[in-house]
Amino acid sequence: MSPSAPVRFRLNGQPAEAPCEAPTILLDLLREQLRLTGTKRGCDLGTCGCCTVLVDGRPTLSCLTLARLVDGHEVTTIEGVSPAQGLSPVQRAFVELGATQCGFCTPGFIVTATALLRDHPHPTRAEIERAVSGNLCRCTGYRKIVDAIETAARGGT
Amino acid sequence: MHLDAFELHRPTSVDATVRLAGELAGRFDFLAGGTDLLPNYKMHLNLKPHLIALEDVGELHGHAGDRIGAMCRLADLEADAAFLDRYPPLADAVREVATPLVRASGTVGGNLLVETRCFFFNQSYFWRASLGFCLKADGDQCHVVPQKERCYATFSGDLAPALMALDAEVEIAGPSGRRRHPVGALYDTAGDGIQRVTLRPGELVVAVHLPPGAAHQRGRYKKLRVRPSYDFPELGVAVAGVWDDGRVSELRLAVGGVDPHPRRFDDLTDALVDHAPSEERVRALGEEVARRVRPVHNTFLQADYRRRMVAVYVRRALAEAREPVAA
Ligand SMILES: Cc1cc2nc3c(=O)[nH]c(=O)nc-3n(C[C@H](O)[C@H](O)[C@H](O)COP(=O)(O)OP(=O)(O)OC[C@H]3O[C@@H](n4cnc5c(N)ncnc54)[C@H](O)[C@@H]3O)c2cc1C
Ligand code: SF4
Ligand code: FES
Ligand code: FES
Repeated sequence: MSPSAPVRFRLNGQPAEAPCEAPTILLDLLREQLRLTGTKRGCDLGTCGCCTVLVDGRPTLSCLTLARLVDGHEVTTIEGVSPAQGLSPVQRAFVELGATQCGFCTPGFIVTATALLRDHPHPTRAEIERAVSGNLCRCTGYRKIVDAIETAARGGT
Repeated sequence: MHLDAFELHRPTSVDATVRLAGELAGRFDFLAGGTDLLPNYKMHLNLKPHLIALEDVGELHGHAGDRIGAMCRLADLEADAAFLDRYPPLADAVREVATPLVRASGTVGGNLLVETRCFFFNQSYFWRASLGFCLKADGDQCHVVPQKERCYATFSGDLAPALMALDAEVEIAGPSGRRRHPVGALYDTAGDGIQRVTLRPGELVVAVHLPPGAAHQRGRYKKLRVRPSYDFPELGVAVAGVWDDGRVSELRLAVGGVDPHPRRFDDLTDALVDHAPSEERVRALGEEVARRVRPVHNTFLQADYRRRMVAVYVRRALAEAREPVAA
């Protein structure tokens, strides 16, 4: 590919295209070029999970993904996890149970939890804790986050 | 954090990869899942002008039978409990690498070739510039063992000790064709934290092969780390073997996280064969392994503590391997 070549992929169900250099990181493409700022930059090094998106349905750290490697693939961000109207069941449970404080980590948790419940609709509490163990939260102490995911799995409050 | 400019190559076959690696000799890195390489690149550690992405090389993907492709994602192995449960030390190791999000991208090949680690190396450019660079990147002296010859960075991959205990082999492709050798032979025991692997220029790891006997062995991988859901190993002890009526008829032990390369201790474990592993023998084994490893203070935990934990983890790994605990 030339220094700046277009990357074509599906983004939240729609075709997307953006010029991209080899070192462009997916997180930067999403936030800076495509202005989808729901995906957060925490550590930028793979340790916090704030930047989690789905690539072909798989939770992926967008801060450690070269944008060019999603060419031809399907990317879903927190914006795509949210329904056009209202909230998804996981989002609603986070709001109703107070599982978010400053909110910075929340998109990452919601994306990770959404993929978990898609693959395992009835996880145990231990399975939930394990699934979100790569997402860091500096505010809540995690308990309400796990409560919220458990509640969403049960079909809501 | 921005990445400096590099050219990205995407070969689609092993042959094309080897050819490209030959042309770019010394000026490239392979990119697998990127969970080790890209954080290092963001910190300006030993950048190369070319990256060869292995993503599109079909032969490297997937696992089947007793073969695991180098590009097999750790999360995909983890999802195949029927496969992993045949190899308990490997199952332990895979499930404890990093976090689920890192395992979603991290691969088996990348794990075997993960860069060695050190407090003075895994730091931002600014941090390293402030202190003064070290031998392993941009400088000429070691801050851990002050001298200018040798780097003591620690091998911190989890899969290697487990695969070495299981007697697995790696398949390598390069300019002179394919070769296979034990996983342990990937690591340069005569080298250091910089010169750490035996791959020749242009070679890549294609797959890992588990020997037919491995699936019937008992074993365990015990990992010492600070945060149980996150951290690199401060010590990893893997054992695999066969117990007949309480006597050991085959046993291998491999240790990672304490030296610049993972190591096996065949002379010590061979001495246990045909014996019942009495408390006394196991203690002696653990203490001798602890005496031989050379941890230095370049990770979270004190070197002396890690060394003392070697004997404890050898004992625990053997006890649990002998009396398999329900997962
Ligand atoms: C927060 C965090 C925690 C981590 N914790 C752990 C941990 O607990 N245990 C652990 O073992 N690792 C850990 N890691 C490191 C890393 O995620 C894993 O080792 C992972 O398996 C590396 O695989 P990868 O495909 O991402 O490798 P990459 O980053 O793509 O590559 C790693 C190295 O291997 C080389 N390479 C890759 N594939 C091949 C091949 N087929 N042939 C030749 N060379 C190759 C690359 O050039 C590079 O030098 C952690 C990483 C992060 C970000
Ligand atoms: S052991 Fe010494 S040379 Fe090696 S990375 Fe650490 S400080 Fe640098
Ligand atoms: S920003 Fe990607 S893991 Fe922290
Ligand atoms: S709510 Fe503030 S970091 Fe999680």
